[in-house]
Amino acid sequence: MSIFKLNSDKQITLQAIGQKSREYKLRPKNNSIWKKFRIPMSRRHLLKWRTSYNKKSLIKERRLEDKRPLWWFISLISFAVSIPWLSNFALSAVAIFCIYASINLLWSLTLGTAGIFSLATMAVVGVSGYIAATANVYFGVPWPLMFVIGTIAGLIFGGFLALPSSRLDGLYYALLTLGLAEICRVFISQIHALTPTNGSINNVSSFIPEDWYLQRPGLLLGAASSFILLLLALLIYRLVNGETLGRKLQVARDDEEFAEAIGINYHSARLKVFLISCAGLGFIGAFYAMYFRSISLGVFSLDQLMLLFAMIVIGGTGRAEGAVFGTAIVILIDRGLFELGPMRIVIIAIVMILVTTYASNGITGIREQFRNFRHRFQTQKRSLITTKGGEIMPEEAIDIHNKQIIYSRRFNSRLRNYLKTLINDEVIAEHKANPVGKHSYELTRLLNYFRKAEVPDKYAVAQIGPLKDSQYKIFAFTGDPEKAPRVVDERVYSSKNEAYHAIFLLRVNDLLES
Amino acid sequence: MDLNLIIYALNLAAIYSLMAIGISLLWSSVGMINMAHGATFVVSGYSTFIASGWLVPILKASLAGTAFYTPVLVFSLTSVALLSGAIFGAIIYLIAFLPLHDKPNFAIRSLIATLAINIVTVQFLLWSFGPRQKALPKLFGFGRIDFLDFSIRYDQAATIIGTLLLVGFMLLWFKNSRIGLEIRAMMQNPEGAALSGISIRRRALPVMMLTGSLAGMAAILLSQTSFFSPTAGALPLIKGLTIALLGGLGSVAGAMLGALIIGILEVITGEISFLGQRYVLLIQFVFIVIVLIIRPRGLGGLLDETRK
Repeated sequence: MSIFKLNSDKQITLQAIGQKSREYKLRPKNNSIWKKFRIPMSRRHLLKWRTSYNKKSLIKERRLEDKRPLWWFISLISFAVSIPWLSNFALSAVAIFCIYASINLLWSLTLGTAGIFSLATMAVVGVSGYIAATANVYFGVPWPLMFVIGTIAGLIFGGFLALPSSRLDGLYYALLTLGLAEICRVFISQIHALTPTNGSINNVSSFIPEDWYLQRPGLLLGAASSFILLLLALLIYRLVNGETLGRKLQVARDDEEFAEAIGINYHSARLKVFLISCAGLGFIGAFYAMYFRSISLGVFSLDQLMLLFAMIVIGGTGRAEGAVFGTAIVILIDRGLFELGPMRIVIIAIVMILVTTYASNGITGIREQFRNFRHRFQTQKRSLITTKGGEIMPEEAIDIHNKQIIYSRRFNSRLRNYLKTLINDEVIAEHKANPVGKHSYELTRLLNYFRKAEVPDKYAVAQIGPLKDSQYKIFAFTGDPEKAPRVVDERVYSSKNEAYHAIFLLRVNDLLES
Repeated sequence: MDLNLIIYALNLAAIYSLMAIGISLLWSSVGMINMAHGATFVVSGYSTFIASGWLVPILKASLAGTAFYTPVLVFSLTSVALLSGAIFGAIIYLIAFLPLHDKPNFAIRSLIATLAINIVTVQFLLWSFGPRQKALPKLFGFGRIDFLDFSIRYDQAATIIGTLLLVGFMLLWFKNSRIGLEIRAMMQNPEGAALSGISIRRRALPVMMLTGSLAGMAAILLSQTSFFSPTAGALPLIKGLTIALLGGLGSVAGAMLGALIIGILEVITGEISFLGQRYVLLIQFVFIVIVLIIRPRGLGGLLDETRK
């Protein structure tokens, strides 16, 4: 690899292992401080570059730690660029995708960030849409003000919805709010003024001029403005989820008592996020009424709510890409397979069942789930290794900081296994004939291994009796400096070489037993 | 106030309590919210509709005019409704419980899976029967019983008595059978039940079938007074859910009390001239919200232990 070229003249070829080497890295030439662009009014940078030093070459390199902004940028730009080339049918699908994706983004703020399991989303959208449309049609409010009215209506309605949320938790609140849309539907359907139109308010004025409606320019304008709506929803998601409120609630999600102890008022943060989300949904409600130039009871239908919920579930809750991606998949099935008729709803439901059965957090969570699975699989595989052979077992290995110890143990065990194959009658006979002197390769390897061993494994020869005609005995070292070597057995050898050979046999025996 | 309104309220309460008890039981014993309860309701309604198409001509040919005609018809169609509800409950068990019950986040995942089953079923029924409303035959005939100051329609009387009988049998079965004992143990303490060798995996099936047949009973009783369409399950589901919440999930007595209160409230709201039918749902909802704000675990918390 080229990194070594920079440091020395020596060229070492390293094998690229894994995916890290393929990652794009910046290599700054000098040590000057990098003046990165900061987003105005905040201390944030556009991209999360992190500087580190390569552990082997000690060269400074900069790595892009979070690539998601790039993916968002690329996909949103290509989406925006492709809008003018789409057919009329696709344009309306794009607009519906953008509106639903915005609803889902704000909804996942409530579900994921605030952790309030509210199913009243479409009720908020519908009620504020109806109020904005009423203001326009019956009170002659101009259309730009409909956005304001819708937002305020959403905020007030959200305030009412928030009342029981502090008392009820989780599924209880979900079940309570589930019925709300149906109640709104029944209530509005029984208003006498709306009976002739079957509960819908028509002829709402809009940002799309009346003679452009359902024409090419009108559809283009609708798609473009809903794209801007999607961008706004993404911005709100980012501002709420990624800034103070989101961070506070993230702490509260992990540990409520801890959050309270360090002074985070997560109740009020939760309420704020919920209200922001409801106000945003009110804005979308007004947009919805304007885009279709009418609003009907269909907005409150339970199927509609379930379809939206299916989008979030398929994409994955608690993340922006999940909300948008899930919406894209469901809209693609719903509009792309239009000729299938009601079958496509069945396909969506089957996708939903499959995703809930097999994916723990939607399609965008699959990557993480696969990594967890691989990690678990590898750990299981490692724990199945039962042969020890002097090596360190994987579960012990994590406690040993110096990994060199693990590898030296493994090397020694493999060395012993190899040396065991060298022992045969010929080698023993060779040693018996000539314990000291030049030996064959096999015997040299064995003797070198024996010499290298630590003291407790070794034996000593002791001379007994007078210098002439002395006899020899074998002792074993204890390894403890305070304890004298112990006698191995009572056998006495007449010559030094005989004793050497006896020790050799003992060591061979030890080796074979290890 | 007319005394017959009490009968009307009881009639509504009977049907609501059948839905609410089903939802409540399933949540407390298995820990899942069955969003396909509305689908079960509609499926049993339609299977009764099909069965009545076959049975009514046969019975008319053989038993018309005799005293056996009405009892045989009522018995056969009710058992069709109960059976189809139970079978659909078993299908929900296979799709939404078995593959999911040992996975994390079971409550929410099963809610989503049952939602999907609901969507599929409604679409399937719309596809095969069309969106037009159907009327089931009047099982109990047309007539009134005059009793003291009350004047009770046959179907009202049958609804109230039938519900009381079914719930009574259910409670007796809970009290006296081995499976009932195990289900009660699961309701009180799922972990304790599992530790004492009760398999939730195995016991969920009878619970699902039982709650399914309760929905089937509700379907056949409600269809005596109103029409039937593939999307007719939504309102009973929502009413059942909210009443189950009001009663405190997991409490049979709470669900019955809640249904009674909601039934009376519905009748009273309908009678007050400046409110009328339009405000029925809204007032019920506001009432439930107020009760839940005061008592987050519903009325059942007063009566017995509920699942957290």
